[in-house]
Amino acid sequence: MKKLLYVLSLLVIASLVLTACGGGQPTAATQPPAQATEPPAEATEPPAEATEPPAGEPTAVPPSPTLTPYPVAECQGGKVCIRWFVGLGTGTDAPQIKTQEEVVADFNASQSEIQLILEIIPYNSARDTLSTQIASGAGPDIVGPVGWGGSNDFYGQWLDIGSQIAESGFDISIFDPALIKFYQTEEGQVGLPFAVFPGAMYFVPAMFDEAGLAYPPQKYGEKYVLDGAEVDWNWETITELARRLTVDVNGFDATQDGFDPTKIVQVGYNPQWQSIQSVGTFYGGAEILYTGDAKGSYQSTIPDSWKEAYQWYYDGMWGEKPFIATGPLSGSPEFGAGNVFNSGKAAMGLTQTWYTCCLGDFRDAGNEFQLGIQPIGANGEVAGRVDADTFRIWKGTKNPNAAFTVLAYLITTGADKLLPVYGAMPAVPSKTQAFFDQKSKDYPFVTKESWDVFVQGLAYPDAPTSEQYLPNSIKANARFATFMNLLNNTPDLDFDTEYQKLVDDLNSIYNE
Amino acid sequence: MFEELSNIRKALPTLRSFRNLSPLARREFRLGILFLSPWIIGFLAFTLLPMLATLFFSFLNLRITDGILSTPDFAGLENYKQLFKDPQIWSTATTPGSLWITIKFGLIALPIGIFLPLGIAVLMNNKRLKGPFFFRSMFYMPYIVPFVAAVFLWGGMLNSESGWINRSLLSLGIPKESLPLWVNDVNWVYPSYVIMGIWGIGNAMLIMLAGLQGVPTELYDAATVDGANSWQTFWKVTFPMISPVIFYNVVLSVVGLFQYFLVPLVVNFGNGNPGGATYFYNLYLYKTFFTFQNMSYGSALAWFLFAVILLVTIVLFSTAKYWVYYAGESR
Repeated sequence: MKKLLYVLSLLVIASLVLTACGGGQPTAATQPPAQATEPPAEATEPPAEATEPPAGEPTAVPPSPTLTPYPVAECQGGKVCIRWFVGLGTGTDAPQIKTQEEVVADFNASQSEIQLILEIIPYNSARDTLSTQIASGAGPDIVGPVGWGGSNDFYGQWLDIGSQIAESGFDISIFDPALIKFYQTEEGQVGLPFAVFPGAMYFVPAMFDEAGLAYPPQKYGEKYVLDGAEVDWNWETITELARRLTVDVNGFDATQDGFDPTKIVQVGYNPQWQSIQSVGTFYGGAEILYTGDAKGSYQSTIPDSWKEAYQWYYDGMWGEKPFIATGPLSGSPEFGAGNVFNSGKAAMGLTQTWYTCCLGDFRDAGNEFQLGIQPIGANGEVAGRVDADTFRIWKGTKNPNAAFTVLAYLITTGADKLLPVYGAMPAVPSKTQAFFDQKSKDYPFVTKESWDVFVQGLAYPDAPTSEQYLPNSIKANARFATFMNLLNNTPDLDFDTEYQKLVDDLNSIYNE
Repeated sequence: MFEELSNIRKALPTLRSFRNLSPLARREFRLGILFLSPWIIGFLAFTLLPMLATLFFSFLNLRITDGILSTPDFAGLENYKQLFKDPQIWSTATTPGSLWITIKFGLIALPIGIFLPLGIAVLMNNKRLKGPFFFRSMFYMPYIVPFVAAVFLWGGMLNSESGWINRSLLSLGIPKESLPLWVNDVNWVYPSYVIMGIWGIGNAMLIMLAGLQGVPTELYDAATVDGANSWQTFWKVTFPMISPVIFYNVVLSVVGLFQYFLVPLVVNFGNGNPGGATYFYNLYLYKTFFTFQNMSYGSALAWFLFAVILLVTIVLFSTAKYWVYYAGESR
């Protein structure tokens, strides 16, 4: 009893110490700083920035957690069991689970040697679960669908499937060669194309009509006609167009005397939900952002063309003739609280296929959009971007060949059922029609020529992707995001100093 | 504080005193423990154990890199050594450190957070005030608005482009270029946060008001008889009498300030902008733990924060004897 009392006494004392010294709940009599006593509720990521995509993955269907643990099937004796891990991207919604189960059943029915086992992990805990599984040597055989971001969180864990492709004789000619190359990283051929989200210039024809401007070209290689002359569809042209399409409250555009940059009611251009790396890629082309192969040797190699892109982006917001919404403007309710193009207040927006998810308000307000090609970058070539989801094989799998058999099935036969439920565009051009039929139902005013821009865009992936792996990736990406936030929100910025600070910080972060 | 703890220790039964209890008292004691047990279990599982775990983690090298949990090697005091030379915590010639940012903001917010509710409470306590209940309700009402919702609302109101505050200033003829950028300006971001904090002073005001109403009226009568004016009455009678309430608020506010987190996370996206001015210590701790997934260093940061708060709290308690008046004590 004495011991019990002693322990209890200690507990009470400890609790009082903790309460008095900050461990307790907010009783905050003073609220001024009292926010401080609010529980740091979300262990999840902070709310997405106005300029960030709505979710970490480019997949069109936002993932939602399953509420109860998914019942995983037993491995039957006599068969090679392949575990398929779903949760890092889309695939956790109830209808998606049902379809995935059908695909698993179809595959298992077609097989006598392999048993495919589905594992659904809620999105919010999928990373932790996979980390734990891999750390304990019990990783799944196949992971996906997963985008570049999710894959890079597990950099170094994916199997180079080059030998499996060669041994199995899998026909990769069904894909655009550019997309095959897209999945060749320093880790090898880490995937094959499955669901793709090519970029395009979304534009509002009515705004172009009002400004008396020709529409953006819809075939790669075509020129743009500006003031009667043919010009390249490049950033110089887009900047000029965007200025003419940026209008103040008095009806002046950004090229006219009397234009009031403090009272903008319509902007000419918006990089819709693009990261700062994406802005750099679209402007300056895909580039590797660091050199070095071990801690201590890493160095930032942001190309000069990207620095130029950032300066252009900044001037587009805060320069004398602005044409991009600043952070405060794009964050305002009038400009859609970040979803600027959807607010109907942007004439052009460069973004990917997945953005068709988020134009309901735009359409319901009676607006119409069409699609133009991605522009030519600073290097004189089309600087496109393709976001993509696919399946990866964990390099610790005991059955790489069987896993590849499953992967091949999922991206071909299984894709017919999976892609519609994922809301994704097929990487195989011959399978895109069903996707566009559905999209045409959502946006009946979009022409066939416009949808075709997406198909053409498959030939212009960013390799390496702008979501490429960076050493100490989470922190490095956070530093890039901070820089973008600074550009978005700071007038009179000492750009060169801040840029140098970014580079210095990245050099330090890469080598931590 | 230690005195209070010692009193609590004394209040708990020793083995001898427990034996001396009557059967009824023993039964009541056991029942008391039984009823307390859910809290005790919860405290053990969800507070004490995680705290001890973080203490343990802080001596390891535990982090997730490229999705893989590192092997938990013993790191000794490495995390604490790193902490003391971390430029993110300690200010350098070019960038402010998280600890200084937190303290600097505290120096601005704390006086306002104490004296403003006190001032309003004094007004609320004025016998000549018409409709005191209405005003009390009005001042208290913002406190019941969920805080995240309020922060979002304030973020909108302080939007330099579309917020009605700047629009109002604009309509008053203030040139656009002279308008504050509020949360996006390194010079305005702390005042903005303080303004948001003022929104929720209702609770502090109510506690101050309760303290004011507990001051015996005879003391005011005596002061009047002695010829004290209202200022003297306030400083010589009211303030000492409510000093325990003020002290209570000061302690909680200081603790709260060191944990300041939510506003910069929601309003400035937790990235430290503008110019690193909003990278508060607790935000850095949170990001180290949950974004950068460096559990061991995050744990070290948490324990360092605990130590700092403990130290400041002890200092505060040690000053209490000079300015806090407890009726019935010989101070």
